[in-house]
Amino acid sequence: MSEVPVTADPGETPAGTGVGTADLTLDAAAATADVPAELLAQSLGQYFRASWLRVRGGNAGVLPVLLAIVVVAVGFQIANSKFLGAQNLVNLFEQSSIYMLLAIAEIFALLLGEIDLSVGLVMGMSSVVVAELVQPTGADWPWWAAIIAALLASALFGAIQGTLVARLKMPSFIVTLGGLLILEGVAIVVLGGSLVGIGNSHYANETFLYNIFWGSFTPVVSWILLAVVVAAAGTVLWRQAARKHRRGLETAPRSLTAMKIVLTAAAGIVVVALCNVNRAHAGTIEGVPFIIPIVLAVLIASTALLQRTRFGRYVYAIGGNPEAARRAGVRLAVVRTWGFILSALISGIAGVLFASWQVSITTNIIKAANNYVLLAVAAAVIGGTSLFGGRGKTIHGVLGGLVIGAIYNGLYLLGVSSQWIDVVVAAVLIAAAVIDVLSRRGAPGQA
Amino acid sequence: MTTDHGETPAGTTGAGTADLTLDAKVAEADIPPQIVAQSLGEYFRASWLRVRSGNSGVLPVILAIVIVAVVFEIITPEHAFLRPSNLVYIFGLSTVYMILAIAETIVLLLAEVDLSVGAVALIGGAIAFKLVQQPGPNWPWWAAILAALAICGGFGALQGALTALLRIPSFVVTLGGFLLFSGILIIILGGADSTVSLNTDDPNQNFIYDMVQGLITPVIGWIILAVVVVAAGTSQWLRAAARRRRGLVAPPPGLTVIRIALVAIVGAAVVIICSVNRGSTLKHVTGVPWVIPVVLVVLGAWTLVLQRTRYGRYIYAIGGNPEAARRAGVSLPKIRIWAFALCSATAALGGILLGSFFYGEYSTNTADPGQLVLYTVAAAVIGGVSLFGGRGKAIHGVLGGLLIGGIAYGVSLLNLGSLSTPLTYILPGGVLLIAVLIDVQSRRGAGA
Repeated sequence: MSEVPVTADPGETPAGTGVGTADLTLDAAAATADVPAELLAQSLGQYFRASWLRVRGGNAGVLPVLLAIVVVAVGFQIANSKFLGAQNLVNLFEQSSIYMLLAIAEIFALLLGEIDLSVGLVMGMSSVVVAELVQPTGADWPWWAAIIAALLASALFGAIQGTLVARLKMPSFIVTLGGLLILEGVAIVVLGGSLVGIGNSHYANETFLYNIFWGSFTPVVSWILLAVVVAAAGTVLWRQAARKHRRGLETAPRSLTAMKIVLTAAAGIVVVALCNVNRAHAGTIEGVPFIIPIVLAVLIASTALLQRTRFGRYVYAIGGNPEAARRAGVRLAVVRTWGFILSALISGIAGVLFASWQVSITTNIIKAANNYVLLAVAAAVIGGTSLFGGRGKTIHGVLGGLVIGAIYNGLYLLGVSSQWIDVVVAAVLIAAAVIDVLSRRGAPGQA
Repeated sequence: MTTDHGETPAGTTGAGTADLTLDAKVAEADIPPQIVAQSLGEYFRASWLRVRSGNSGVLPVILAIVIVAVVFEIITPEHAFLRPSNLVYIFGLSTVYMILAIAETIVLLLAEVDLSVGAVALIGGAIAFKLVQQPGPNWPWWAAILAALAICGGFGALQGALTALLRIPSFVVTLGGFLLFSGILIIILGGADSTVSLNTDDPNQNFIYDMVQGLITPVIGWIILAVVVVAAGTSQWLRAAARRRRGLVAPPPGLTVIRIALVAIVGAAVVIICSVNRGSTLKHVTGVPWVIPVVLVVLGAWTLVLQRTRYGRYIYAIGGNPEAARRAGVSLPKIRIWAFALCSATAALGGILLGSFFYGEYSTNTADPGQLVLYTVAAAVIGGVSLFGGRGKAIHGVLGGLLIGGIAYGVSLLNLGSLSTPLTYILPGGVLLIAVLIDVQSRRGAGA
């Protein structure tokens, strides 16, 4: 699909951009491979024009999903004025956090051009392991040891699946399908046929796990943390740009860097302000829930890994063209195995949140965990990740997860029953896939 | 692959031999050994060559079924696994997997996948059961079944159109379809906790109930078997004779005789097993359940469509190489849309049989659509259908489904208490992985 030659189109090129421009117009494959707009632009105006060109070139990035979030938000707000209330927004984010993490996990497989159907049950298994290990009548491990054990178990499982896919060349669809069947059994064995809970506030370890999902920072701490985060992010962004500038590399315009910092600060302030509103029906629940920094940390770590490290570049290279990557000296088997390990590891993190969210785990909840894989794939695709490998970022998973969470939340507020919610999510998924296909078809030279 | 003249069956026609050994791709595209063999001995040697070149067909799954049967017979308490009553029950339990796996095979042959078969099947069953309700629509059974098949076929065509015309990956389209139809299923049933059940006193509703649960008395079973064997035997014999008369390559006469004998033996074994009393001494239950001929008819129909019609050839052509098929003048969208429609219609029949197997009760707890589709894909792949398109037959789905059902039931016989549920997941998963591992390794060994 991307092999079609592209006609050079100098008329539309932003002026004064040299090398970058040639890439953008001469080679649609490079444009699809995410040449960031800031590399081409010397001023803010040019940046916006370059970004617009990329959108028109079928590389819309996060724009469609942001648009979808706005449409969903406005629509539900009109239907029910509680939707955009502080209480509901926090609630919505909490519900979406599982989808977000699983979508990030799935994206590691999707970028490689593979699929991981086991993310839902890796989450299920991890949640059972962590809950079982802190039981005071059982293993009675400290919470941190239980979490580490759950994450290690998840990563180990990912390593096995990754090895089967990467070394034995078995299709990932089948490996992870078989894997999830096996995991479902393993999780039920570990569960021991009954239910396990972490809701007993007499035990410090159970309380800690419970608070991962349900606990919050106090409002004051929330503000302090925000200040620290914004200051740190701003410094990093600014110094990065300055260093590149000093070395005479292509840099983003200063005003753009400043704008990014201001936007981060503004978004942070809105989030903290919303979270600091009392959202309890009786008593007080306020402050930023712990899961927001948890999701952010996973997002930032995975983004850094994919965008800033050699491993990340190899992942995109394999997803784009495995044979080319192999000839360039990339060890496919190693990178692929690590892709599946990371996918399972992040699913394991989701499992810790899942245990905390559900409070008590039963066989039925493990079975329900399986359906999350579909929502994870849906979130990734809605967010803008390609199913064909090589295209997508982990932020797409977060935004796609937010759309799915918002749909569930909004329709639930409207009193719509769960079966109709499934219908709507399905329609959104198919719409996202149609938009993806059509936008790539509309790209210059790809018609 | 090295040319291996030493192992080539002697006296085979030049073209056939060269194809078999020189081009593993052609071997993979299913050149039946009977075309290259002139005598029984040559046939077996050609078959063995195909197995060795990674094209082992139904052999591995039959081997797996034998192993599973022997192992469960040994380890189940009182060696109950192979009791006639259990064998009949296993067949009923496996029916839904068999029919759904046949449906999935059609789509897998095109190198697509349909994740919505489970949900569509349940919708099909729910529609048929709703339509025969009295008081209610009170449709005749055949109209209800046809309506269910048609509606589900329409759903399939819709998904097929999105895949075939817009080229959205079938994975995503049917994933959306899965969510959509799981929702619609609950809406059709009338809420998450509602149940639709058949009233067996009403002959119209009882017909659908009998599709799995009804019995053919042993005497009539023998008569039907005799008719089927004679008819199948005559047609096989006449076809081979006609081919030979026209100077075409035909299977050796010995092979035709063996095949007819095999059909007769298997049929007789089934009727004998079903003729044993599997009720109590007071209430005798004997006879062949209707579900066996029903599954055989579906299998026969799909085998005919896939192996003997132009449509079937086009499906294999697209699965093997879509671009080549397109240049040969095959309308890809048309074939693909029909494949998805027929897959969903077949799945609907599976759903109706599922409801019948559960004694005519249908609710949202009848089956989990997500698990159904996982077992279905697993059954097809374990049976020997390739995920990459162009390789597989309807019989593979039936055998894979039987294996999954056999494992599920065998585990439940073991009285393992809390371990039996997990094992019904772990064993099919393990078998699936082993099946694909063998498939991948055998193809690698073939140098293909």
